[in-house]
Amino acid sequence: MASNAAVPFWRAAGMTYITYSNICASMVRNCLKEPYKTEAISREKVHFSVSKWADGKPERPTVRTDQPE
Amino acid sequence: MGVLPGHMATIAELKPGVLSMHEGSDVKKYFLSSGFALIHANSVADIIAVEAVPIDQIDASLVHKGLAEFTQKLSSATTDLEKAEAQIGIDVHSALYSAITG
Repeated sequence: MASNAAVPFWRAAGMTYITYSNICASMVRNCLKEPYKTEAISREKVHFSVSKWADGKPERPTVRTDQPE
Repeated sequence: MGVLPGHMATIAELKPGVLSMHEGSDVKKYFLSSGFALIHANSVADIIAVEAVPIDQIDASLVHKGLAEFTQKLSSATTDLEKAEAQIGIDVHSALYSAITG
C-alpha cells in the first residue's frame, strides 16, 4: 500500500533511480578541473555486448562501446 | 543531516551535495553526485555514491556554464523526459555552486 507522498520529479517523468544517479554523476564529472576530469571521463567508458536469446539460441549481439575501434 | 555516534540505524537517500567528515578538528569535504547513507546500529556509517570528489577539484567556470546551459534547456524543453533532465542539471549545478562558494 503506497502512501500519497509525491514521487520524485524524475520518477514521474519515467526515469529510474539508476538513470538519475548516472546522469548526476556524469554532470559532476564534466565540472571537474584537469587532470581529474580526464581520469573521471575514462571511468565513464563502457564496453559491453548484449544478445537476446530466442528458442535457446543467442541472436546477433549488439555491441555498445566507447573504445575506439 | 548530521550523524554522531549512537545515531539511530537509518538508510537515507542523498541528494547531490556536500559530505563533510569531521575527525577531531580535521574536516574533509567531498561533493557527492547522489547516493545513499547507511547508518548501522553499531555506529558504523557507509556512504555510497557514484562520484565523490574533493571540493577543490571542482572547476567554477564549468559549473557556471553548466548552470546557464541547463536553465536554458529547461525553458526550451518539450517532453517530460527533457524537462526532468534539465531539472536534474539545474539541481546538480546549483549544488556544485553552493559547494564551491562554501
